[in-house]
Amino acid sequence: MDRKKLTYWALGVGALLTTVGFLLAFLVASPTQMMRTTDSGKGAIIAGSYISHLIDYGQKIFFFHVPVAIASFLVFFFAAYFAVRFLMTRDRMYDTKARIAMEVTLIFTTLTMLTGDLWTRWAWGVWWTWEPRLTTYLIMLLLVIGYFVLRASVEDEEKRAVYAAAFSIIAFLDAPISFAITRIVPAGSEAHPVVIGVPGGLSGEQLAAFLLAMFGMLAFGYVIYQLRSREELAKERIEALKAALED
Amino acid sequence: MDAVTTEIFSQVAPALPYVIGVYAVLWIGLMVYVGLTLSRVGKLEKQLALVEEAFAKRG
Repeated sequence: MDRKKLTYWALGVGALLTTVGFLLAFLVASPTQMMRTTDSGKGAIIAGSYISHLIDYGQKIFFFHVPVAIASFLVFFFAAYFAVRFLMTRDRMYDTKARIAMEVTLIFTTLTMLTGDLWTRWAWGVWWTWEPRLTTYLIMLLLVIGYFVLRASVEDEEKRAVYAAAFSIIAFLDAPISFAITRIVPAGSEAHPVVIGVPGGLSGEQLAAFLLAMFGMLAFGYVIYQLRSREELAKERIEALKAALED
Repeated sequence: MDAVTTEIFSQVAPALPYVIGVYAVLWIGLMVYVGLTLSRVGKLEKQLALVEEAFAKRG
């Protein structure tokens, strides 16, 4: 299968999986493992059942937030990989690939920050707090933005590509730190939840909804990267042909 | 979810529509972005085919 067909397949699969993940998250996946206590701290009788906890629907954001966050880490890894390849080979193709991967990283990082902030407002009652995961992830977002600021500020193409590659490799060091920080720093009262890789983290239907959404989101990441690559390639080819026609 | 659980959810989750709304808006936003990129790529590749044709004719 050629890359063009694979992109359309990935688009279909991504749309299907994220749609099914969305429906599963709201209609099937139980929120019972992530409840919060009532504001008064007292229980109540509802529909004949004693309720001591409010059902925390804010955690439904999790099924979008975490897949997008994982996609951001993964695409950032590829951006750093292409940057390394560029520094090894000095082939401009890798610089273009790294730049496009950083664009996709920016999209997913921004979506992660938006969904995470909504959850923070819901669960902790504040729009922002200097909690370790939030802080390190904010640094990651700023580094990704900084990458494009750096590219825009260097005029010489060769220097721009080298500086950008070095910057993205160093910036990527923040990704594993941000990913692992919740497991390294002791949990406080406002600690970012850890649900993956811990006992009792996700029930069967929650895991199914999460995995579908995650693979769907990764497919979207691939699609965006491929489409942007084709766009850049077409632009470069058109410019080259136009220049040749004018000569 | 059984009827009792559904009833409980309806009682204790008044902000649920907003959560679904935000989730849907972000998800649809991503789909729209992909759609717009796809449309741009399509136009560019058509333009590229025309320029290549002109280049081939010129020989």
